[in-house]
Formats: sequence, C-alpha cells, structure tokens
Amino acid sequence: MIARLRLVALAALVVLALVVAGRGGSGPTTDAARAAHLSEQLRCPVCEGLSVADSPSSTARAMAADIRRRVEAGESDDAIRRAYIAQYGSWILLEPPGAGFGLVAWALPIGCAVAALGGVALVLRRRALLVRAMDVP
Amino acid sequence: MSPRRLAALGVVAVVLAGAALAATRLDATADYRATPLLGRLAPDAHVTTLDGRSVAVRDLAGRSVIVNFWNTWCTPCRREVPALETFWSRHHDDEDIVFVGVVRDDTEGAVQKWVDERRWDWTIAMDPGDRTALAFGTTGQPETFAIAPDGLVVGRRVGEASVDDLEHLLTLARGQ
Repeated sequence: MIARLRLVALAALVVLALVVAGRGGSGPTTDAARAAHLSEQLRCPVCEGLSVADSPSSTARAMAADIRRRVEAGESDDAIRRAYIAQYGSWILLEPPGAGFGLVAWALPIGCAVAALGGVALVLRRRALLVRAMDVP
Repeated sequence: MSPRRLAALGVVAVVLAGAALAATRLDATADYRATPLLGRLAPDAHVTTLDGRSVAVRDLAGRSVIVNFWNTWCTPCRREVPALETFWSRHHDDEDIVFVGVVRDDTEGAVQKWVDERRWDWTIAMDPGDRTALAFGTTGQPETFAIAPDGLVVGRRVGEASVDDLEHLLTLARGQ
C-alpha cells in the first residue's frame, strides 16, 4: 500500500513538473518565429475566440504586421504584450497572464488537481489501514 | 472524514479544475466594451484626411473631440448615418468641437464617393494598416470615442450610436 501511495505522489509530481515545464522554456529566437508566437498568443479583437495568427480578418492582418514591425524595431515580447494590454486590457491575451488575477486562473486548476490527487491518496491510505485492522486476529 | 466524502470532494475538485480551465481558455464572451483607455491620454495616432492632410490626434487637444470609426460597407455604420448627420448639423458651427470620422478597412475611392454624395463636411480620414484603430483598441466598427480638451479619453460607444449617444459623448468631451 505504501508503494501505491508513493506511486500516486510521484504521479502528482510528474503532473506538476509537466505543467511548470510547459509554462517555461526559452521560446522562439528569430524575429519571424517571435512574431508568429506572439500572433498565436494575442486575440483577434474583431473575432470570437480566434488568435491573430488564426484569423483571416483585416484587423488581424494589421495586428500581425504591427507585431512584426515592433519585433523588428527591437521591442521585447513582454513590451509588445504590454502595449496591446494598454490598448485592449488583458482580455487581448488568449491565455491569462501569469501574474495578478491571471495567476489565480493558472493556480486554481493546478491546486484542484493536487487536492484531488491528495484526496485519492487519503482514501487509499484509509482503506489500507482498514484492511490491515481487519487482518489483525 | 469518511472515504466516500473524500472521494466526492476529489470529484468536485476535478470538476472545478476543469471548469476553471475552460473558463479561462475558452473566453468567447469577454467584455468587449471595457477599455483601459478611459481616463488616459488619447493614443499618439496620426490619420490622413481625404484631402491629404496629416492629423495627429493629440494635436487636437484644447477642443472637444469625437472620433467615429466607420466604413462604407458595414451595416451598423450605414444605420448610424442619420444620427451622425443630425449630430453634426447641430454642432458644425461650434469651433470648440472636432468631429473626425476614421475609416477602417475600406478603399479611399469608395469613401470619397460616399462623402461626396452625402456632402459630409466633417473631417474624414483614412487609416491604412488600421494603426489608429488598433491604437484606440477598437473591436470593430462603428465605434465612437470622446476626447476632452485636456486630451484624455472620456467616453466610448461600441456599435451603432444614436443622436442621444453622440450628444452624451459630447457632454463627456466637454467635461460636463
């Protein structure tokens, strides 16, 4: 039973590590790749749930061109995101920011998943204790 | 706590996690009307009028400015035309008011024809590359902004504006 608990704890750690790894990383390095990546992260403001990269609208094309211009002008990814947030609010980001209220959106699912795994582990542990108690003559 | 209750809590936690993830990633009903521009200086944007003049939005400071984003082909823009014409007929003699129609996503030829046919006499400007529309954080057209004489954005109307809406925006732009 202890081995099973260890397995559950290990699985929880792997899930957390995958989530953290997925959020990090060095990211694209060339100007074109950076512009494309930003276009995937920013929302097309005249569309329903589409990124700038995925939308064929003229506004999205204008945004993509603006992003390319800013990247070529030497602006950092963060500065470009901040510029669009200043114009549209954080709504313009397809994924919530990893700070402020947006951090809650990231932390809540992870916290709930960890709590769920913890609950399962507790149930298994109690069941094991019960079985052990019943085995005692 | 009984094992059953713990298991139920686990299920609830998983459902909540899924719901939170879905709510943040599939946000199709976000508030289109919220703008962080309100109370801030108008964007440092330039437009080119149909007669070839370059106009910097910030150079209009000192007067009450109404900026209307529009084009000739969008249906709500066409429905808005009588309101725009009535509004401007009331105020075109007032030199403290600037009314600018910024065209997005249209051709200069179609706009010139439209303006000539209707004898519009407020400032009409093209916005190649949608740079001014993006600087104002527009989400389509029509969309109308009020800028006070101190250069601050004080009002925004998303979608078709009535005469009352335009008068309300002007009241805001006058600082009243």
